[in-house]
Amino acid sequence: MSVTRVTHQMSQQTTLANVQRNLAAMSKLQGQASSLRRIEKPSDDPAGTAQALRLRAESRALAQYDRNAADGRGWLTAVDTAMQTTSSQLVRARTLVVQAANSGTTTAESAEALALEIEAVRDALLGQANATYQGRSIFAGTSDADAAYARQPDGTYTYAGGAGSVDRRIAEDVVVRVDGDGAAVFGDGTDNVFALLDRVAADIRAGADVAGAIDEIDTWHHRTTSALATTGARTNQVEAQIAVNASAKLSLKADISAVEDVDLAETLVQLQTQEVAYQAALGATARVLQPTLLQYLS
Amino acid sequence: MSSFSTLSTALSSLQTQRAALDVAGQNIANANTVGYTRQRAETASVSANAAASRFSSGLTVGQGVTVTNVARLGDVFADARVRSSTSLAADLAARATTYARLETSISEPSDTGVAAQLAQFWAGWQDVANNPSDPAPGQVVLESAQILTEAIATGYRAARTQWDETRAQSVAYVDAINTAASSLAELNETIRSVTVSGGNANELMDRRDLLTTQLAELTGATTRLQDDGTVTVSIGGNHLVNGDTSYRIGLVGSTTLAGAAADAPRLEWERTSAGPVTLDGGLLAGNVASLAGARPDGSGGALAEAAAAYDRLATQLHDQVNAVHATGVTTTGTPGGEFFALSADPGTPPALGLTVAVTDPSGIAAGAPGNGAYDGSVADAIGQVGTSAGSPDRAWSAFVVDLGVRTQAALRSAEVSEHSRATAALVQLSGSSVDIDEETVTMLAFQRAYQGAARVLTTVDEMLDTLINRTGVVGR
Repeated sequence: MSVTRVTHQMSQQTTLANVQRNLAAMSKLQGQASSLRRIEKPSDDPAGTAQALRLRAESRALAQYDRNAADGRGWLTAVDTAMQTTSSQLVRARTLVVQAANSGTTTAESAEALALEIEAVRDALLGQANATYQGRSIFAGTSDADAAYARQPDGTYTYAGGAGSVDRRIAEDVVVRVDGDGAAVFGDGTDNVFALLDRVAADIRAGADVAGAIDEIDTWHHRTTSALATTGARTNQVEAQIAVNASAKLSLKADISAVEDVDLAETLVQLQTQEVAYQAALGATARVLQPTLLQYLS
Repeated sequence: MSSFSTLSTALSSLQTQRAALDVAGQNIANANTVGYTRQRAETASVSANAAASRFSSGLTVGQGVTVTNVARLGDVFADARVRSSTSLAADLAARATTYARLETSISEPSDTGVAAQLAQFWAGWQDVANNPSDPAPGQVVLESAQILTEAIATGYRAARTQWDETRAQSVAYVDAINTAASSLAELNETIRSVTVSGGNANELMDRRDLLTTQLAELTGATTRLQDDGTVTVSIGGNHLVNGDTSYRIGLVGSTTLAGAAADAPRLEWERTSAGPVTLDGGLLAGNVASLAGARPDGSGGALAEAAAAYDRLATQLHDQVNAVHATGVTTTGTPGGEFFALSADPGTPPALGLTVAVTDPSGIAAGAPGNGAYDGSVADAIGQVGTSAGSPDRAWSAFVVDLGVRTQAALRSAEVSEHSRATAALVQLSGSSVDIDEETVTMLAFQRAYQGAARVLTTVDEMLDTLINRTGVVGR
């Protein structure tokens, strides 16, 4: 559509529209350069918005998995410490039992001393079995009992755990058990390491042969070491996941930035170009709108 | 031919040039008047009395000049183009404005939007799963649930407020249309009577053109010039203004967003055979489209669809969280009931009726029955609801992206149509606007002609002086 007749009103309006458009483009670029954000609202880049929303949700979830993993590592460390002590206590118990089994040399006094020492080991083990982390008994599973193992007046022991394990979600699809399996390490019901030590102590006092108990203690010790190995493996898994999460967090941050943030150099160059265009438009306006024929008529 | 006839010829020229100068003056006076169409005095030479008769004496010259018409230099086709492009541009601009405003109210993507609140809420459940015995994480989950329900309700209210304002604006538009239509009918009548009596109705026509363009901008009305100088304005094929008669339209239908689905706001003719007004474009068409109720396929009005998205979000949250929460037990073994509650009142939309039913952290059912009291598996399962395929997060994200796409499309098409409107307006201005340079040149021409006519007068006067005062005084 060609425009043959041009009037002042037309050039005024066209100029005004051009200056407005330049100013609008410049203000948008200025906004981007000052907020450093490319996507202020969904329509700025709908596809980018979809990505940004997903990446932000992932980033928040990842931060939570990191918290879960850190908490899980605390649990596993506590379990590991407790089981290391348990292991050394069991070694100590075995030594005492071996000593007591050499019945030829034991007197009533030394038997009593050995029995007392065995009971001391039992108490130490009981203490480890009832170890807590942040107020929770680490071998009691999900139970709310104060202690995992309680000695009853009749000399038997009750185990509070066994109903579910304590798990931590350290990644979207990775759940790790972070508590100690009390039943595996210390036993439950009537078959537990405390009852065994009680029985051994009683046998020593009674002067009975306790050689058979050595194998039993060895069995418990094996169970402890294998549980220790499991705990170590889980700790490794959690540590590895923490490292993976840390690098994922960095790359997520980079992804979010790539989607949402402006390329500063590019934006500044565009802003500079736009500024030149705006000034040119203003300059042209000043030249176009001023002259009329009237200035040249006397 | 009379000796004095040249005097009257010169006089006719003086009068004509002055009249033409008047027109130029009027043009310059209205150089910046919106809607003014430049005018030109059309002149014609007056022929001699050429009727041959017995007493006719040889050749005669013409009798001078006269103004035959003050022409209005508009282009009806350019005007029509402006009206049609304005109606389309206004329609798309109204839709784009609605979308752009709605989009700012959802504030996504950000650290404060609904998506961020949802992520915060799900993460909170993981903390509860880590430590069901501690009331602190439970309190945090309850707080973030509270914030989430408020964010949903706030978003819904924003859409509702915008709906109310759009409806109020549409009512104002309808009033403007009715007023413009009745003014147009009056102008039609005045123009007809002025034209019939041979007068000049150019300025009235300018005002009428402004009104028809305004009506096109509001309703997409089409205008047709009739033989008697009046215009007929039609919306959807039905007369809005015909001659000196105008017909009123009214906005009927629901006055609330909630009622829009069943009874969408629409326009109707306010006459005996009332029927729906079919708009061809214009601001009102854009507004009425935005006011429509939500449809199952998502093709309803922008505002109602946004409100429906908030409702869906509330319902999904309620259903999905409660379904898992109900399978759990609290630390004291009490079966978990509802975590979220919806208002029982059917008049309350889910987005506003969503509340947190659990008031105390001890009421959170984090554990599975049969496990220990400190089991957190159910809390963990709730924390994973956000990552499932049918999660509220996905639905919300889909809505946000859909809104972004629609807004972008609406803004772009509004920009394109505004560009074509501006071009049409420029073409119209090219024909009708006043050029000061041109008028200056015209003034110069008329001024010279006026001077010439005055000189003719002087010359004739001197000739007559010779005849009257010098005749018969030979040799004196």
